[in-house]
Amino acid sequence: MRFTPTELTGPELDLQTEVREFLAAELPPGAHEPCLGMAADHDREFSAKMAARGWVGMALPSRWGGSDRTAVQRFIVVEEMLRWGAPVGHHWVADRQTGNVILKFGSDEQRERFLPPICRGELGFSIGMSEPDSGSDLASVSTRAERADDGWVVNGTKIWTSNAHMNDWFICLLRTAPMEDGNKHAGLSQFLIDLQSPGLEISPIPFLDGSHHFNEVTFHDVFVPDVNVVGQPGMGWHQNTTEMAYERGGPDRWLSPFSTVEQLLREAAGTPMEDAVSDLFGELAARWWGIRNLSLSVARLIDEGEAPSVESALVKEMGTRYEQEVVEKLVQLIDEEYSPESESLFERLLAQCVVTFPGNTIRGGTIEILRSVASKGLQGLPA
Amino acid sequence: MSVRIAPEPVVVDELITETAGRLFGELCTHEAVQAAEDSGGAPDIWEAFCETGFDLIAVPEEAGGSGGTLAEAIEVLRLVGYHSAPIPAAENGILGGWLLAQAGLERPDGLVTVVPPRAADGGWSGGETCSVSLNGDGTAVLSGDAHRVPWARSAETVVCVCGFDGTSTVVSVPASECTITPLPNMAGEPRDTVSFDGATGRAAPAPHGVDADALAQRGALSRVALMAGAIEKMCQLTVSYTNERVQFGRPVARFQAVQQHLVWAAQDAALVRMAAEVAAREATRGDAPFEIAAAKLVANQAAARATKACHQAHGAMGMTQEYPLHHFSRRLWSWRKEYGSDAHWSAVLGQMATGVGADGLYPLITSGTAALA
Repeated sequence: MRFTPTELTGPELDLQTEVREFLAAELPPGAHEPCLGMAADHDREFSAKMAARGWVGMALPSRWGGSDRTAVQRFIVVEEMLRWGAPVGHHWVADRQTGNVILKFGSDEQRERFLPPICRGELGFSIGMSEPDSGSDLASVSTRAERADDGWVVNGTKIWTSNAHMNDWFICLLRTAPMEDGNKHAGLSQFLIDLQSPGLEISPIPFLDGSHHFNEVTFHDVFVPDVNVVGQPGMGWHQNTTEMAYERGGPDRWLSPFSTVEQLLREAAGTPMEDAVSDLFGELAARWWGIRNLSLSVARLIDEGEAPSVESALVKEMGTRYEQEVVEKLVQLIDEEYSPESESLFERLLAQCVVTFPGNTIRGGTIEILRSVASKGLQGLPA
Repeated sequence: MSVRIAPEPVVVDELITETAGRLFGELCTHEAVQAAEDSGGAPDIWEAFCETGFDLIAVPEEAGGSGGTLAEAIEVLRLVGYHSAPIPAAENGILGGWLLAQAGLERPDGLVTVVPPRAADGGWSGGETCSVSLNGDGTAVLSGDAHRVPWARSAETVVCVCGFDGTSTVVSVPASECTITPLPNMAGEPRDTVSFDGATGRAAPAPHGVDADALAQRGALSRVALMAGAIEKMCQLTVSYTNERVQFGRPVARFQAVQQHLVWAAQDAALVRMAAEVAAREATRGDAPFEIAAAKLVANQAAARATKACHQAHGAMGMTQEYPLHHFSRRLWSWRKEYGSDAHWSAVLGQMATGVGADGLYPLITSGTAALA
């Protein structure tokens, strides 16, 4: 394991400037309600504007509608969007992972069908992994897809599915053959399922603060055509593990509270600041600088053809814990009794952080699972 | 053609890493490091180190040094930390050697050490417990006590800097003119008290950019490099030990509760090495007050977490002198306090962060010192 320091090249710095100028014009600071990282608002119009700049699906090949850009270039766009609190929710999943999965494992027909609209910022994807009895032990999923003429018939339930009520498509890990003794990873397959399919029922699972992100998605004899199977039936576990690697180590795992911290500094301008508050800004800037350099080096490794899965797991585990630490430090220092309806934007954001950030160390693989992946890598064992 | 220009890359010659790593790997055995602690020095290791020229790396050749970049000197210091080499590599080279070369003072034979600046007493590296008076003829008389001077007992020359930027003066005093009282840090490294008692030294004006603040930054950078090496080695010891130590019929590294310590320590090792390398890169190019301050604060905090994790994973074995973990953990606890505590660097960074304001905060994180201009 080695994180090699890297820095942005001239053209990469120009991209950073371009993104900052775009954001300053689209979402002037202080005049928009920032989102907290990747748990961002869904705004098809904003996604389309980003896509028009070539910033959605940007690392995908131009042959399929992408921009042939690098992981580092995508890192630059994503970090600026997230630190600004931009509404990137609609294209988020497709841009980060589903596009990559379809490119890597899908058929040419699927690439033709899905990748250009993903790159236009049109398609929103949900991820179908968790089930009532399958969370961290993902290989135990039991929602079944059974063979039918020209396709498959799906029955079962997926839960805690983010934004299924707003998205268009569902990439699902389903069981296509019974669990084998000694090989629980066999018999799983990945499917692309239209969220408008007959027999597919979406019902809200209210989030702890009453908001609607999570859903229960129930399949009653939902027909999925053969052309929507991703890769080879039975190879779902391997494909899914590859997909998870795209989820890890990026700016979305350490930037979620940034807009809250920035807003505190904005609201504090012009008034005397206690030393403890000033010191905290310094401390947070230092830690973010360090973690960002690690995360950026992971993106560079990907561009160099490496598969830095241990490094990504280490950054994600550290970054998500850091996000919670930032919030805790703010909470310790702030006298006000903030609430989601405070007059101050900073206080509203902080209240939202307090209530929703326990999920940051859970989503996309709990930190306990990440530690197991990372420590096997540290010991030179297969993950 | 891009509008924004990326700076030239800073490259460290791999031969330096290889040579220094091999040298320390052979000489800095657990026993040798322990013996140096017991006797207060390791002249044989220092001599072998000097034969490679690493003792004066990054000191310009025209000033009698070995040449090379600051980044290369920092890489050597990282290896000093990795092997807990019991030698004053930073004091003799990029701190004391640098001050003498900058002021154009002759470099006497033998080991050079530096009086570390006290954060609270800007302008005078000796702190408020001693003072200097300049004679105007290129000499200066020092009085009072300077504290926590590394390896003063083995040094031939004690160097300090006083005054503010533009008007500061470097003073070089023969150690033989001073009374030295030995004092160890928590790792048993010499951090002695130097009583000047009217000692006379040679004085020369320092050029722009060389003052107590600049020394404080270089000193902090040196500690970050040492700490990066020590944390990395401490993590490697911990992975090995937990794979060998069998309890309940399996290596303890198989237990999730132990894996947590391995992962957390590995993160801090990676974080501090990254901080050290990025800060060294920027300091090689020019002023890097943000990167150095951020690196030292990050290293201080990481040292606290990583020593805790590694000790916990080692159990009672890590609490014994016979096992080498303490060479690293005790150094980390000591270096954390040298050249700036957490509180000091948080305050410095807080001034920078609040100074750039809300719209400048993220550019500070991405561009560092360049965003302060």
